[in-house]
Parts: sequence; structure tokens; C-alpha cells
Amino acid sequence: MVLEAMQDILMHPIVVEGFSYSYPSKPNVLNDLSFRVERGEALGIIGPNGAGKSTLCKALNGLVPHFYGGRVKGRIYVVGMDTLKHTVAELSTKVGLVFQEPETQLSGLALTVEDEISFGLSMLGYPKETIQERTWQALEKVGLQGLEKRSPFELSGGQQQRLAIATVLAMRPEVLVLDEPAAQLDPLGKTQVFNVLKELLRDGATIVVAEHEIEELATFTDHLILLDGGRIVSEGVSRDVFKQVERLKSAGVDPPSVTELAYLVEKVCGLNRDHYPITVDEALSFFLELLEDGGRV
Amino acid sequence: MMLVVLPWMALAVPILSLPLGFPWNETVVYRLNLLGLDLPVYLEGLAWGFTWPLRIGVTISAALLFYLTTQHTALIAMLFKFRLPFRFIYMVAATLQLIPLMVDEVRSIYQAQLARGLRTDVSIVKKLWNFLLLVVPLTLSSLGKVQTRAIALESRGFSAQVPKTVLYDIRFKTVDYLFFTCMAAVTLYLGYLYVTAGYSPFVRLRFLLAG
Repeated sequence: MVLEAMQDILMHPIVVEGFSYSYPSKPNVLNDLSFRVERGEALGIIGPNGAGKSTLCKALNGLVPHFYGGRVKGRIYVVGMDTLKHTVAELSTKVGLVFQEPETQLSGLALTVEDEISFGLSMLGYPKETIQERTWQALEKVGLQGLEKRSPFELSGGQQQRLAIATVLAMRPEVLVLDEPAAQLDPLGKTQVFNVLKELLRDGATIVVAEHEIEELATFTDHLILLDGGRIVSEGVSRDVFKQVERLKSAGVDPPSVTELAYLVEKVCGLNRDHYPITVDEALSFFLELLEDGGRV
Repeated sequence: MMLVVLPWMALAVPILSLPLGFPWNETVVYRLNLLGLDLPVYLEGLAWGFTWPLRIGVTISAALLFYLTTQHTALIAMLFKFRLPFRFIYMVAATLQLIPLMVDEVRSIYQAQLARGLRTDVSIVKKLWNFLLLVVPLTLSSLGKVQTRAIALESRGFSAQVPKTVLYDIRFKTVDYLFFTCMAAVTLYLGYLYVTAGYSPFVRLRFLLAG
């Protein structure tokens, strides 16, 4: 039993077991969360504001509880490491956390974009050659070549978020965690950021994203967790979670428009399909099919 | 600069030259007839009142000049060379970067307050209150940002107890050594003059206007 549990922990990049957390000033922010993330998959965390999405993201890299204090129950294992037993600095090479605020998460020490990317590595004392090599690779991955010598504060929001992702990528973490990365971006910035994430997934990265951009999440996540009041209200394959339109709406989350439309069409027309579309392309084929059937039940 | 020096002078001269019990006030230069009292105005105090603020002005100018003419990378590299604790270096470097951002933010807070009905055509006292209305939001938002930045830094390994890799490099050139020796020599000479020719009230109580 113990051996199985240990194997589980070692094989999955993230294992959360019965995790509960209370901030010093706010109790029961997370209640008894348990889930696993498979290697190479994209997990989406959705939920209303105040559900604990940010807290969960911070728990994955050790900020909760090391930085904030508070009371913890249960465990989180990141790449086999117990977050309670390792410092945030140690975990930073395993988990990279990207925050919502593009400008505020910049270090403030770096005068150029490439220095900003090198920041994490220089904090951890890596030799210069390694730093230069990895910086260049990260720069290419996020598509910011040509901007290395600019000041990080001169970039647009989307570029700054991509810079933040590059900073984290340079440290070669096993898991990338993003806490509402598109929240403060304009539509172009959002597209840029999500394109980078999809590119990373194609390369085999493991990603956890907490977001409100349901439509985007529908295009690339494998699994979803619906969080409400610190509890997991629904989890599973993205498609299955999106299908639970009523539950999503009662938790204060809007499902993708096309899913909701299909759901309403079913309700109104009394149709019974076993799947709903979650992206616009799927919706196209779904409704074409419906039209072909002549709307017959 | 005048903005800093003149008010201090206006404050220092009266306080220092009047008979308020300062030990170095000996030579009476003038006698003021104020409020029925016969007040002596002392030379020493007068002189001090003028020279102190000027010295402060010189110090501030020197600091500003240094800040404005030094390349940031060179400054940070130098701090690393002096092996100062990393947290201190970070403090200096972050300040250099973040002051322009704060200036931008004050501008946007000002516009926001104007849009909410802030009046600029008011008395001096009200203007001071307006100042508060700019400073308080700035402080609060900065505190919030500080927390976000702190956790971002932590997540990038800021607190790791390993020697940090220095990103910028700087080497001392011959010119630098020359400059340092000259500076040291001049300082020593001035110090000698200062002490022996008696410009300091602690060495000689009697001193000249040039002090």
C-alpha cells in the first residue's frame, strides 16, 4: 500500500492528497483537495473569484505555507518532493509559477530582457555559460528574440507575460503553473500567451493553468478541476466537466458559449446527444449534423 | 536645489544667530530691537546659518550627480565587487528601476483624482491635502505590489543560500585608481586645513566667516 502510494508520487509530477489550508487571517481557503496531474498533460483550474485558485497555485510551489504561514493539512508532492519539507527556492527548479500581474512580477533588478530571464538562474548560482545558453533557449521558446536588450518595463503586457514565462522556463521546471496569466492582458496579449502555452504542450510540458478564459482553456486542456469555496466541485476530462452546464453555472462559471448553446438546444428541442461541442470547430460539425438530421429527435 | 537650500537657510539663520544658548556665539554683530527686547545677533551663528545649508546642498548635488551620470550596470557591478550583502544590492538596484515607474503611477493617480473632482485652484492648505490624496493611493498600491514582487522573487529562488552568479562585470582601470588616490589626497588635505585652521566649532570656538 505504502509502496503503491510512493510509486504514485514518483510517477506523477503533481500529487495532492487531502490538502487543506487556512491563511493566518482567513480560515478554510482550501478544503480537502486531492488530485493528480499526469506528465505532459494540461490541467485547467476554474472557479469563481475567491474559490481558492490562486491559493492552490501558490501551494503548488511552496509559497503556501512557507511564505504566508497558516495551517496546513494533507500533503502536496511535486516531482516526488513534499512541499512542506522543501524551501521555495528548492522547489523553484521543479515548479515554475507565473503570476497574473505582468509588470509587478518582474524582478526589478534586471535592466534588460535577457537579464530578467537569467534572473532565476543567477539567484540559484548557476555558472555563466549555462545561464547564457538557457536564456537564449527560453527567449526563442516564447518568441521574444530581438527584444533581449530592451528594458523589461518597455514591453507590452503580452510580451511581459511571455517574458515571465521565459524567466520560469530558463530554470527548466518539470511543471509550469500559471495563475490567471491572461487576466490583465488585452486580446492580442492573451492570444500570444496561450499560443506559447500550446507550443510548450506540444513539446511535452506539464502545465497547470488557473483561468477565467474558459473558451481558451477548452482548446488545450486535458483535465479540469472546478473549484468552489476551496473544494473540488467537479473534476475530470475537460469535455466531461464542460458538459455539466448547470453545475458550472451554479458555481458561477460560464461554460464555453457553444457548449451552453448545445445544452439549451437539447433542453428546448428535447434532443439527446451524448456529447457537446466545446470549441467553435466542434460546434460547427455538431450543428451541421443537427441541421442535416432536420432537427428530428 | 534652491528649493532645498533656501528654506533651510531661512530656518537656520535666525535660530543659530540669536542668543538661544549656543556655545559658539561670541561676537556680536548687530543688535535687534524686537518686541521690546534687545537681541544681539551673533556673527558665528549668522555664518553657520548660511554655510550649513550650503554644505547640505553640496552633498545632495554630489549624490544626484553621481546617480544621474553613472551607468546602472556599472553601479550594480561595483556593489557586487565590494561584496555587499545581496539583499542590499537588490535594494539599490530595484530602487533605480522602480522610481520611474512610481512617477508614472503618480501621474495616473493624479489624473484619476482629477476625474473624481480634485480641485487644483485652491489655497495652499488645500494643496497640502491634495498632496495627501496622491501619496496615500501611491503608498497603498506600492505596498500591494511589493508583496507580489516579493513572492515572485521567492519563486525565482531569491532566498537560496548560494552565492549568486554576478551578471555584470566591471574592472578597475588605471584611471579609477588615479581618481581614488587623488580623491583621498584632497580629502586628507582638506581635513588637515579644517582642523588646524580652526573652521570647526569643536576645535576652536573662534572662527572665520569662511567657516
